[in-house]
Amino acid sequence: MKHISWVLVLATAACMKAETSSRIAEILAERAAKTQQLQPEAPSKMERRMDWLRDSEFLTNFGEIGGGVRVKVGGLVTGSGFAVGPEYSREGLFAGKMDFRTSAQVSMGGYQKQDLEVSFPRFVHDRLRLDFYGVHHNYPGLNYYGSGAGSDRNGRSNYRLEDTAFDAALSVRVAPKLTAGATTGYLFNNIGAGTNRRFISTEKIYNTEGVQDQANFSRVSVFAQFDTRDYAPGPRSGGNYFVQYGSYGDRTLGRSSFERLDLEAQQYVPFFNKRRVIAMRAKTAMTFSDRNQSLPFYMQPTLGGQDDLRGFRPFRFRDNNLLLMNTEYRWEVFSGLDMAVFGDAGKVFSRKSQLNLKNLETSAGFGFRFNARNNVFLRMDVGFSHEGFQVAMKFNNLFRNGPSKTSSMMGDF
Amino acid sequence: MNRHTILTILVAATSLPAQKFYADDPVQVYPAPQNVETVRPRRINEYYDFFQNLMAKPGEIQAKTGVALPARAVNTLGEAPDSEWYTNRHGRNRMTIEELQRGPGNATPPSITKVWRVTSAKAEGITPGFTIVDGEGRKYLLKFDPPSNPELASAADVISSKFLYALGYNVPENYIVRFRPEQLSIDPKTTFVDHYGKRRPLTQRDLTSILANVRPDENGEIRALASRFIPGTPIGAFRYHGTRADDPNDTIPHEHRRDLRGLRVFAAWLGHDDSKALNTLDTLVQENGVKFVKHYLIDFGASLGSASYGPNSPRSGNEYLFDWSEASRQFVSLGLWVPRWAKAKYPHLPSVGAFEYTVFDPAAWVPEYPNSAFLNMDAEDAFWAAKQVMAFTEDDIRAIVRTGEYSDPAATEWVVKCLLERRNKIGRTFLRNVLPLDRFAVRNGNLTFADLRALHFNEPLQMKVRWHTFDNNSGEMREIEGATTFAVPASTSEYVVAEIASGGQMIRVYVRNGREIVGRENVQPEPRLLTRR
Repeated sequence: MKHISWVLVLATAACMKAETSSRIAEILAERAAKTQQLQPEAPSKMERRMDWLRDSEFLTNFGEIGGGVRVKVGGLVTGSGFAVGPEYSREGLFAGKMDFRTSAQVSMGGYQKQDLEVSFPRFVHDRLRLDFYGVHHNYPGLNYYGSGAGSDRNGRSNYRLEDTAFDAALSVRVAPKLTAGATTGYLFNNIGAGTNRRFISTEKIYNTEGVQDQANFSRVSVFAQFDTRDYAPGPRSGGNYFVQYGSYGDRTLGRSSFERLDLEAQQYVPFFNKRRVIAMRAKTAMTFSDRNQSLPFYMQPTLGGQDDLRGFRPFRFRDNNLLLMNTEYRWEVFSGLDMAVFGDAGKVFSRKSQLNLKNLETSAGFGFRFNARNNVFLRMDVGFSHEGFQVAMKFNNLFRNGPSKTSSMMGDF
Repeated sequence: MNRHTILTILVAATSLPAQKFYADDPVQVYPAPQNVETVRPRRINEYYDFFQNLMAKPGEIQAKTGVALPARAVNTLGEAPDSEWYTNRHGRNRMTIEELQRGPGNATPPSITKVWRVTSAKAEGITPGFTIVDGEGRKYLLKFDPPSNPELASAADVISSKFLYALGYNVPENYIVRFRPEQLSIDPKTTFVDHYGKRRPLTQRDLTSILANVRPDENGEIRALASRFIPGTPIGAFRYHGTRADDPNDTIPHEHRRDLRGLRVFAAWLGHDDSKALNTLDTLVQENGVKFVKHYLIDFGASLGSASYGPNSPRSGNEYLFDWSEASRQFVSLGLWVPRWAKAKYPHLPSVGAFEYTVFDPAAWVPEYPNSAFLNMDAEDAFWAAKQVMAFTEDDIRAIVRTGEYSDPAATEWVVKCLLERRNKIGRTFLRNVLPLDRFAVRNGNLTFADLRALHFNEPLQMKVRWHTFDNNSGEMREIEGATTFAVPASTSEYVVAEIASGGQMIRVYVRNGREIVGRENVQPEPRLLTRR
């Protein structure tokens, strides 16, 4: 119909042209011809549908329900399955001084997490920040293969972790890129039988410390962070270095107190105008305890999964200490997608003297990082190791932002 | 009914006997617009516009070979006449430095004698901003620079608006303003959509929260861009293809308008890769008792190395946001294939971002995503635009760049240098695809003109000329024996035509009554597209 109208306009204009005697008359004739065919501007059916998409702000406010409530996707531990739940947040309360957020999520695998966060990010000219954080996890099927680097891949069991942590963290911006601070908190732990029937429950085959009874811990820690990354949600240059030293006091059993030292260095080496980046990380976590104290398995550092050794199952390795190194080469495919090839190496170990580069477990693979204006919102990695391959999607960056402000070993704050 | 059929009908209809030239050729000004009774405001959907242009290439797109689709909205000299779209300015009659700096107007910045009433606010989006009304009742859009790059977007917006005004387009009045937060007061009726998607009254806390993301200078003053609201009733953006169905004056498909095809060259010069439908605006205005639609270009914050929210990506102008072939190449090569633009060098100038001239390739330049008018740009469109770019001298460029008020002199110098070098690349590229002769006149019986390559690059052309008589009704040409100089030959014919050739290129210049230049055409049977598709 539209075409027929146009043909009529053109034909009318052309006939009028033949009768005109000046260029101006010809232009006026074209206008007169169009005047006969005027019709209201109307979007096409497809555009109307996309108008709905825009007006509903489905994409810009993906998951927003309104009034500060939104649907939160992801964010639970690797291996929990697709997680979703409501999140409520308010920023700038009390004259812009306070932010509030709380969420509750459940995954396809029945994993649950509820948390609540109150932050005062802008004290003393934005130099001082105070955070209060409470979290409860109910993870019914975490992997346990036994402690130590030599744990058997066929020794897979699962257990339920229920923990609740309350923490407070005070951070001071000492210099533009340097932050220091301290945290204090309390962690309640409960370990139960795993619910994944494909694998045996941990307590049935392992008699390691922590299986039979669990301790609650108080924690105090200090930390420092030097962050020169160009853009934290999607860094392409700079570095992020942090150290955290925490003391965990066993408040119920009196036999599991320990100290933990975390060191992490991330470096982003850009080239070709940041369209290529080599991202590197080295980190270690070391625990120290007195002779009469022993670290329960659920408090041990772990390796394996989409945040560290990506060719291995989540929590594949755990022991009192760990060492991890990751290197990624990332390149921009188009403006919304980076690809990566990576190599991971790491190990867990029981004695400090084993802190070396011997007997490392390795994995390699490739991945995709989807971003919007450099904010990575989805990451997919395929990792290969001598134990097979792992595929996972995560809604976060590979490397964490800074020291953990929660005493929970699930460490997601 | 397909495009081919429509074209056939059009060609058949327009081949009815008609003169090549009318008495009023060349038309320099379009006739006054016809009164527009009713137009309905429309909003162009940004997602639809993106996907439609990326996937479907709407409108009538010039094929790489076959029948050429020359630009329209053009007179017989190849110029774009003055219209609701376009006004010949610096390219036709040199503007003074003061006029260049004034642009569409520099006399009505927001008055600071009274507080500015905030009538709407935008916390989300690429950059935060307010709509304000000053003490004189004038309305402005207030936009801020990203905290990481003070001056970046505001300078780009002001500078590019002045250039595009001088180049002939309708643009808003843009000002750099500095103010203290107490200059703003909230209109009691003002509501805004918070970042939870809820519309509610704007509070002082919201205002403080938005301003917390803006970096004040050492005096505590906030720098912003104040873009004065365009007169008339806004009725939405125009597309770079088709016409408005409800506007009787909009008769030429936009993908064929010279002023829009040639805009690609201007956008390339200024690094304005955000030159899309959404950054245009049609307004219904009334002048001399006639209501008509006037067409504006708006929002130039993403130009001159700025992406509004930060420095532009080095990809900008070199590749579309998404390009199948480039993405495939990157995918397959594991990033080992490195595009040339990725090696571009940029000085560390936070207020400029990623603007350079070494890698810049005018013919390969692309906006963020394709548009039909830019895709159709041919050698003639590019020539028309390039000669206007070349009309800017270093002094002109420097004068306009100063209106961006960069606090760092190195930033000013770098932008000037980039614009000069990019200008020269544009000239060297687009003054080669057609015979670069311009400003034809008959003086003392001789055909005179400017050889633009000689003028700008000191590369004079070796030319040959032959004269013909020309029958305006039949189009028949007959060679005039022995007429091989630029002296206009005596002839009984009303029209004579000079065929000027050089290096395999040829143009025809039509002279009426021995003294009046009436036409210029490039002899080029096949389309000569200059751009990547």
